Formats: sequence, structure tokens, C-alpha cells
Amino acid sequence: MSEPTNPFTPVTGKKPTCMEMLQFILDGQATPEQKEYFRSHMDHCMPCFKSYHLDMAIKELVQTKCCGGEAPTELVRTIKSQIAQNIS
Amino acid sequence: MEDVVRQHYTDKEKREIFDHEFLPHINSMYNFGYRLTLDRDDAKDLVQDTYFKAFRFIESFQRGTNAKAWLFRILKNSFINDYRKKIKEPNKVDYQEVESYYNSEDVDRQITPDLRVDALKDMIGDEISNALNALDVDFRTVIILCDLEGFKYEEMAKILDIPIGTVRSRLHRARQLLKEKLSEYAKSMGYKNT
Repeated sequence: MSEPTNPFTPVTGKKPTCMEMLQFILDGQATPEQKEYFRSHMDHCMPCFKSYHLDMAIKELVQTKCCGGEAPTELVRTIKSQIAQNIS
Repeated sequence: MEDVVRQHYTDKEKREIFDHEFLPHINSMYNFGYRLTLDRDDAKDLVQDTYFKAFRFIESFQRGTNAKAWLFRILKNSFINDYRKKIKEPNKVDYQEVESYYNSEDVDRQITPDLRVDALKDMIGDEISNALNALDVDFRTVIILCDLEGFKYEEMAKILDIPIGTVRSRLHRARQLLKEKLSEYAKSMGYKNT
């Protein structure tokens, strides 16, 4: 069975490297077609499979642990009141 | 540089833009300010200053365009021009190193062998936050903009005033450095190398 055409654009060389494809996925830049291609690619590329799962787990942890919650209410109040003074 | 087309808004319109397009981003702005300064009071000052500047220059903002990216750009500039100068923290990133690292084509080198997904599952406290905060400010900035705020390469390039290629290579290096920090935590938690 022949491989489907690689939909990624190479950054440095003539063809996209595993690292370039993985980064495009991680950085949230990939199209649905590129994501699908990478999913099949991982079936026969163990380094990509391992890297992808580790990197995505880290990304998800950053999203849940570093989001910071809400801004302090007194900060919001100060900004609102100073802007109100500027307008009136 | 894009030309700034000045808008003309009534006071009512300014108020609407401020309330409906600027203020909804305040939580993200505060977190960004905190991750840049690593100090809650400094973050408050930075955010407050950013919102005043945004209001002062509101006629440079075109209604309905990307307010979040515009605000993040103002905050980042305030951080560099005001805050960083105040504390005299120079830019420490070695960009030569970033470029050469990124040009490596060996994917196996990209895997940190002593960090596994199961080790991450035990990092339920401040490990991730501390690891992120321990990165140089330019590296933690791209992680926040990309992973937390979901900005695209082009938006990050505009916010940071750097080419898209630099955004990409900086993100790549930032992810590697974060992985190295987490790997140190994993070792301290008793996880053995694979």
C-alpha cells in the first residue's frame, strides 16, 4: 500500500521531518488533514508516538495548572472606576 | 509596519469597546502579567497600566478586530519598556543556540528519555507551574501564548515583534527546556530513567 501524500510543508529541508510535523501539531497549527496524516504516521513511527503522548500530556498539564484563575476583584474595580472617570 | 488607521469613537462607543472587547480578557491578561513578572503586585500594576494605555489609544483600535492580541502586545511592550528596565533584567536567551538546535533533524534527540507520561500523572501540585516559571521569560512567554491562550504563529509574531520562524524555534526550545525541568522533578520524585 502506498503512503498518502504528506500534507505538511517542510520548514528546513525538502521533506517535512518528524520533528516539524510534531511541532505543528503541538503548536495547534495543523489542519484536520495534517492531524489525520500524523495519526496514521504514528502507527509506524515509535519515536513520534512516544514524543506526541508525552508532549501532549505536558501541554494539558500546563493548561490545567497554569491558567491562573480570575484577576483580583479590586484590580477590575480600580480599572473600571478610573476609566469611568476618564469618560465622564 | 502596518499603517494605523485612526478611528473616531463617541464616549459611549469607547465605553462599549472597553467593556465588551477589552475587559473580558482581564483574567488572561492578569495571568500573562503574573507569568512575566512572577509577582502578583507587579502583575496588577502591569495590567492596570495596559488597560489605561489601551483606553488612551483606543482610536488606534479597530472595533471587531483581535482585541486580545492587541492587549497582549501592549502588555508585553509595557513589560519590556517599563518593568524590565526598572529591574534591569537583560534578555538572556541565546538565539544562536535556539536556531542551531531547531535545525537538528534527528527526532530521537528530541525525546527526553527519562521522562514518562506516568511520572507526569503524579505532578498534581505546583511542579508544572514552578517548572514554567523557572524558564527564561522569553521561553515561558511563548508557551503561555501558544498553550494557554491558543494564539497562532502569526498572532504571536505580531505580539512579540519577531518573525514567525523565530516564534516556531523559540517554542520548540521552550518545550524542550520545560521537559528537562519536569524530568528533574520526576527524578526527585523517585522515577527512574527508562
